[in-house]
Amino acid sequence: MARIQDIAAFNAARETGLEKLMPTVPRITVGMGTCGRGNGAEGLYQAFAASIDRSGADVVLAGVGCFGSCYCEPIVSVRLPNHPLVMLKKVGANDAGRILQDLAGGNITPEFVYCRIEEWDHITGHLRYGSGYPEVPLWNEVPFFKGQRKLVLRNCGFINPDDIEEYFGVGGYQALYKVLIDGRPETVIEQVKASKLRGRGGAGYLTGNKWEFMAKAKADQKYVICNADEGDPGAYMNRNEIESDPHSLLEGMIIGGYVTGATAGIVYIRAEYPLAVRRLQRAIEQAREYGMLGENIFGRGFSFNIDIVEGAGAFVCGEETALIASLEGHAGRPRPRPPFPAQKGLRGMPTNINNVETWYNVAPIVTRGAAWFTEIGSAKSSGTKVISLVGKVQNTGLVEMPLGTPLKTYIYDVGGGGVDGLQVKSVQTGGPSGGCIPQEMFDTPVDYESLAQLGSIMGSGGMVVMDEDNCMVDVARYFIEFTHSESCGKCVPCRVGLNKSLRILNRMTEGAATPHHIELLDDLSRYIRECSLCGLGQSAPNPVLTTLRHFRNEFEDHILARRCEAGVCEELALSPCENSCPLHMDIPRYLQLYKEGRHDDAFMAVIMDNPLPSTTGRVCQHPCESRCRRKTLDEPVNMREVHRFIGDTMLLSERFEEVAARVAARKLDPTGRKIAVVGAGPAGLSAAFYLSILGHEVSVYDDKPEAGGMLAFALPEYRLPKAVLRREIELIERTGVKFTLDTRVGKDISLNELDDRYDAVFLSFGTWKEAAPLREPGAELKGVYPALHFLESVARGENVQLGRRVVVIGGGNAAIDSARTAIRTGADATVIYRRERKDMPAIGAETHAAKEEGAKFVFLAAPHRIVGDDQGRVKAIEVVKTRLGEFDSSGRRKPIPTGEIQRFDCDSVIFAIGESVDIELAQSAGLKLSHGGTIEVNRYSLASSRPKFFAGGDVVTGASNVSGAMSYGKLAARSIDRQLMEADRWKSAMPDYQFDMTPPDTPSESRRHRGRELDATVRAQSEDEVVAMLSHDETLDECHRCLRCDLSVANAT
Amino acid sequence: MPNKKLSIRIDGALVDAYEGQTILQAARAGGKYIPTLCDLEGITPVGGCRICMVEVEGIDRVMAACTSPVQEGMSVKTTTPRLTQHRRLTVELLLVERNHTCAVCVSNGHCELQTMATNLGVSTVRLAYNFPKLETDLSHPKYVLDHNRCILCTRCVRVCSELEGAHVWNLTSRGINTRLVADLNGKWGDSKGCTSCGKCVQACPTGALADKGRAVEEMVKQNDRISALAMRRGAEA
Repeated sequence: MARIQDIAAFNAARETGLEKLMPTVPRITVGMGTCGRGNGAEGLYQAFAASIDRSGADVVLAGVGCFGSCYCEPIVSVRLPNHPLVMLKKVGANDAGRILQDLAGGNITPEFVYCRIEEWDHITGHLRYGSGYPEVPLWNEVPFFKGQRKLVLRNCGFINPDDIEEYFGVGGYQALYKVLIDGRPETVIEQVKASKLRGRGGAGYLTGNKWEFMAKAKADQKYVICNADEGDPGAYMNRNEIESDPHSLLEGMIIGGYVTGATAGIVYIRAEYPLAVRRLQRAIEQAREYGMLGENIFGRGFSFNIDIVEGAGAFVCGEETALIASLEGHAGRPRPRPPFPAQKGLRGMPTNINNVETWYNVAPIVTRGAAWFTEIGSAKSSGTKVISLVGKVQNTGLVEMPLGTPLKTYIYDVGGGGVDGLQVKSVQTGGPSGGCIPQEMFDTPVDYESLAQLGSIMGSGGMVVMDEDNCMVDVARYFIEFTHSESCGKCVPCRVGLNKSLRILNRMTEGAATPHHIELLDDLSRYIRECSLCGLGQSAPNPVLTTLRHFRNEFEDHILARRCEAGVCEELALSPCENSCPLHMDIPRYLQLYKEGRHDDAFMAVIMDNPLPSTTGRVCQHPCESRCRRKTLDEPVNMREVHRFIGDTMLLSERFEEVAARVAARKLDPTGRKIAVVGAGPAGLSAAFYLSILGHEVSVYDDKPEAGGMLAFALPEYRLPKAVLRREIELIERTGVKFTLDTRVGKDISLNELDDRYDAVFLSFGTWKEAAPLREPGAELKGVYPALHFLESVARGENVQLGRRVVVIGGGNAAIDSARTAIRTGADATVIYRRERKDMPAIGAETHAAKEEGAKFVFLAAPHRIVGDDQGRVKAIEVVKTRLGEFDSSGRRKPIPTGEIQRFDCDSVIFAIGESVDIELAQSAGLKLSHGGTIEVNRYSLASSRPKFFAGGDVVTGASNVSGAMSYGKLAARSIDRQLMEADRWKSAMPDYQFDMTPPDTPSESRRHRGRELDATVRAQSEDEVVAMLSHDETLDECHRCLRCDLSVANAT
Repeated sequence: MPNKKLSIRIDGALVDAYEGQTILQAARAGGKYIPTLCDLEGITPVGGCRICMVEVEGIDRVMAACTSPVQEGMSVKTTTPRLTQHRRLTVELLLVERNHTCAVCVSNGHCELQTMATNLGVSTVRLAYNFPKLETDLSHPKYVLDHNRCILCTRCVRVCSELEGAHVWNLTSRGINTRLVADLNGKWGDSKGCTSCGKCVQACPTGALADKGRAVEEMVKQNDRISALAMRRGAEA
């Protein structure tokens, strides 16, 4: 090919390219980026080539770059002449033959279909593929692409990066042609300035200004450099851009070189990107061959060359002065600025350095103009930014959106939200120099200023999504470990400061830190940020400072409670199940004790960890199962049913007396201290039990006629038989706890009296008030019930006249319990919930059971008004249909009323829409309340604002669950005891068992045992317990299924 | 041609400065003190120790006086509570990074780090000591390199290359593992390039580079060398 010198030759090259892109025969492409190759694209390409050879079909096969959807590699595109381009996903080498066969018949193999593209705006050109296949979604109808604007990635995944003619075909090098023919560099600089293009490497400096600076500098030699030293963990957009479309980079650099008066260009690229290096090398050779590089380009007297320099991978070499030092053959250590590279750069000559992605924006701006560019994006940050979306989201990959798009769009709409139903907690932007942004702030637009305000940065565009399983202290530690090992060592703050930060963070994750370490870490981080010499040190503390700012609780948990809620920091947890259990039951211990046949020990281990083992064995939300490592093999161990079995077999048997005596015998010597517990719900019962075991004299007050709180009055009999609960309460009584029932604190006895008579008071009177008075028109009608009142009435054995048709409003456990209870009275129940099924807070199994029993569900509807008959009784309810709008701070979409009204005839309506604390009692006691209307306490001691008064359970958290409330009771007991006795006596009261610490043999797949359920038709008619206990053999099997995560190399025998 | 004369303020006082000077140079010429460690007048500044950080009015960031050029009308503050806090932390970090045991150091009483700590009132450190295990290079016939005392100021590197032209010293590795090395990480005594001029020893602010024979360990008493004693002992035996 002769060098292109005129428009005719240029157009000819373009025509050749177009013919390759849209041939008159079918064309198949395979995405051959590093990511595609990692997923088998090379084998797939070979398979296609072999199939085509064998069949002799006239098909064009090409390797192209990456289309961005990492989550469904390898990606193949197929196109028949005059038809849309269809993208296929997750194609394996074995599928090649079939796809070819189908294509020969004019068909697209349906199971691989991803999306179709009818036309594509390459910015520098426009291709119309054709229309058809209406059953295949258009590319921007696929959630991952919705809202994406491919400007930088305009050619990625379409053209063969090794073929310059295909680049010509999409309008490549036209911008360069235009610039050189016009011959007015200053207009181009003006245009770039007017476009407000900002450096995409992270700092966001205006590119036009930088170019102007450089253009004005006078010297014999001037350089433009492309910084392709992409080193942020989790960021790979630059690699992908170069691998998929190297010529766009070259074109940008040649234009930049021309307008700034540079004499040579250099691409400084990491050696770890061999494929990108190879493709860029090939692109440079072809560009020379076609006359886009070299002497006298387009005959306009401008000569320019680009060389590649491979960097050895030091992170600091992304800093421009360190990059220059590295190019000069020195160690990659930065030097202070000024002088700036534009004055004194490479070899002392004026030098302009831009990030890969900045260069990709040059040709579009030249082609379409500055005004077009500024229309995209936000006011201060125009254009788009390519983000690499990775971590705990369903759809990962490269996402190019206009700047200013809110974070939640990336995470929920494009990313599809959390994986495995886990909540997204935070997102880390900008790599090691960036920060962590909490989920409550996902409304933040992604642009330079907004991210900086939150203490993070845009950086190169890495976005690492983190969920509940990520520990933020560990995340901070990880990034400091990275920057610490990448620090060049030149300046003290970065070299020593980061080393000390890392050591402090290490201590925190090991549970060996003290509260003053938080302050020290904060001081140190601010100092490093202010005093470091270069950008690496100045920004390295950002991950620490942002996590300290937004996730301080987690740091305090690690230090004060020695807990890592995410279960990441191994030293702080016995096992994942123990860590996730609100009561921190030593689960592996009771499983092992039972396995060893030590049933009495197993019972004692259980009851001392959890005083209501049979109740929680039935109704706990069992967070342990979601963390059980066994689930990676088959299914989680049924830990809940095992402690139910252990509890039931002792408590409900003739051995009760003996067992109760043994538990009571564990009591420590009487201390003479008297403690009052207000509220006999799960929190109060647990506190009373442990305080009594610790030797105190405990009195429990409750206004209900029976102890148990919600367990007795809100949980229906078929889920928790009252006989079981009564036995457990009896055991607590045997330890010496006194119950004073039918006594309302605040009325029958004042808090001041309690203050006088007792050494400490624990408040756990729960949330029995309706969260908000019912405001719906018709709420005053007969037949409208708040869920708790309804459940309580049924529990008290009162005859509630529901009628035949019942509507339940709500999606939590109270709603499901109400519906199932209503069904047992012979009614038909319909549950109406304003969001979707997956958003329901109720336990999934309970919802499922309700459905089996005949409950109907209506989603996306909210109450509008209740219609009454002339006797003032409920006749019907009108609901307004909702649609899901934007994501709110809970990570769920907000329901928005549509105005469409639907009517349900019914005889009664039960509202289960949340409960709240009896604020008057708390206020009259002089207790400080939180914004949410709950009692404010110290998270670690549960001490309230009033001396001697502690609080826990729902009064602190708002309506929650059994094990959560019990954990407060347990913590309060320990804390009250420590305060009264001025010593931590907890361990002395707890049993200590020796048991087998041999790791189990390599496990094989096994079935999980479940409690048998009564048949749905039978149970809907009865109050009998639905789920039966496991058998002894099944229990033993479950114990054997435990993988013993509590063992570590250190304590294995 | 002399550079353009500028007028700047340092701690409120007007000071004459010349275009191209650093803040530190202007301060010294004007008789104002800014503490330094890695700086040595006469060789290229590197801005590594960050002790000389100063505040400039209108700029949020603190700036290294040794590498920041003066600008017309700038107003510099050399001592503020924030700067003192930063300087103290810098000294603390240097003290915990390696093994600075003043009592047994050859430079005890003549050490710039020690003086800096004294001047800034750093009598204790809040951070844990690193206590790294470091070597001492005794291979040179005249001098000693003790990594335990090195603060990586690179004064030795610069005097050796800029003044002596021998380029014996350099730094190897990075981050907390950065070490001063002779030649290509060889023994100092094996260096063909070293002229034994001793400039590095004189430039070193601490006891990292020192004349041989001065260390506490080398102060072994040898009373058996007293011949009269030996005779008496012999007579008694």
